[in-house]
Amino acid sequence: MKKLQIASLVVLAVLAIAVCLLESDTLTRLQSGLLGVISPISRSGNAVKSSIGSLGKDLLSLDQLQTEYERILSENRKLRAENNGLRDLQQDNDHLRQVLSYREHSSFRLVPALVLGHDAGVWWNKIKINRGSADGIAPDMPVITDKGLVGKISSVSSNLSEVLLVTDENCKVAAKVEGTKEQGISAGSRDPGGELRLTFLSKLADLQPGQKVYTAGVSGGIFPSGIALGTVKSFHARELDGEAILEPAADLGMLEEVFIVTGAK
Amino acid sequence: MRQGILFIILLLLLPIAVAIQDLLPAIPPFQARILLLPVVFCFGVMALPLVPALFFALATALVQGLVLLQIQSGQAELGLTVPVVFFLVWAIGLQMTSEATQGMRWEVHALGSAVVTMTLLSVEFLMLCVRRGGFPLEMLVLQRILIPSVTSLLIAPLLYFALCNLVPVFNEESHPVQKPNFSR
Repeated sequence: MKKLQIASLVVLAVLAIAVCLLESDTLTRLQSGLLGVISPISRSGNAVKSSIGSLGKDLLSLDQLQTEYERILSENRKLRAENNGLRDLQQDNDHLRQVLSYREHSSFRLVPALVLGHDAGVWWNKIKINRGSADGIAPDMPVITDKGLVGKISSVSSNLSEVLLVTDENCKVAAKVEGTKEQGISAGSRDPGGELRLTFLSKLADLQPGQKVYTAGVSGGIFPSGIALGTVKSFHARELDGEAILEPAADLGMLEEVFIVTGAK
Repeated sequence: MRQGILFIILLLLLPIAVAIQDLLPAIPPFQARILLLPVVFCFGVMALPLVPALFFALATALVQGLVLLQIQSGQAELGLTVPVVFFLVWAIGLQMTSEATQGMRWEVHALGSAVVTMTLLSVEFLMLCVRRGGFPLEMLVLQRILIPSVTSLLIAPLLYFALCNLVPVFNEESHPVQKPNFSR
């Protein structure tokens, strides 16, 4: 074997070990860099996909009408998303503290974003959106639609971010069940069914299919109170607690536009 | 010099493959994803000589590890060790296969892509089971492993067609490329 090849293999071994020993901070920065590299490809690819998708529509309608329609649709979704939080918090008026913090929790500052694509990772549920740190987006910010909670920002580059969906096993949300005192922790699962599991409920909880579940907004948490999370599909008691299976409120398979909650108004 | 250009082209293909696979829709009814990164990886390690192929495998591992990176409580959930070992082992295996078949063949590339995809998804699943506990090996999980593997098998010849002309142009030292001949 040539000396150059041996030297190259030594360099490779050193590099491989160095890569394996990278700290999580460095990995986060590298991930942000990778997102920055793929951002222009994702954005242009999404633009091409949208153009192809709307080709037929464009032939039938004027561009101006379509732009206006999309603007109004976007505004309507934003208002409905805001209204969703406001309406839910009105129902909590039996708790004075929550009433006092009503405006703080219900008045969101929302940044609209387009979904560029679903992450191809098979065991993780993530999407990419066209907003990043340049738009004031930071990790752990909640992401919602007019229907309910979508997930949270997991990683950010300057103009592209990844959102960890509520259906991911790692996205844990404190939640409360409408019309009861029941509270639990919701998370996705590795089963690819797209359902949520609400655990740590009382074994004797009397939950019925169709009951709404909202974020509980615990102190120190990242999700504000009162955002629709899902609907109870079934409930069963386990050895130590009760578990409810939820249908997510937002249609996570058909996401096109989402809103990032950047803070209170 | 030419070999270096081929290496750079293949490196550039890695983030492009990641971006494109994210844009592609899931395959109904099981919502299985199409994975392009293993297909590009197989082509790269089979087209390049051993040492550049190993560097390419390390680059692929870095990209794949960063794509899947999730920080939980300040710690990376999977880290990069598993992808690095996985892709280096497969790079050596595919190089040996290329030697055994006396050149780069589209059939071997297609089969290699499918097997690498299948083992990659299986290893990821096992790692998650170790990290998070539980072992929900259900039919849907198997389908989520098998469908992307079969898709890789079908997509691989397209990439081979598109890229095999680059190899003789840029890489005079690599394994000889055998162009697809479906009349055999």
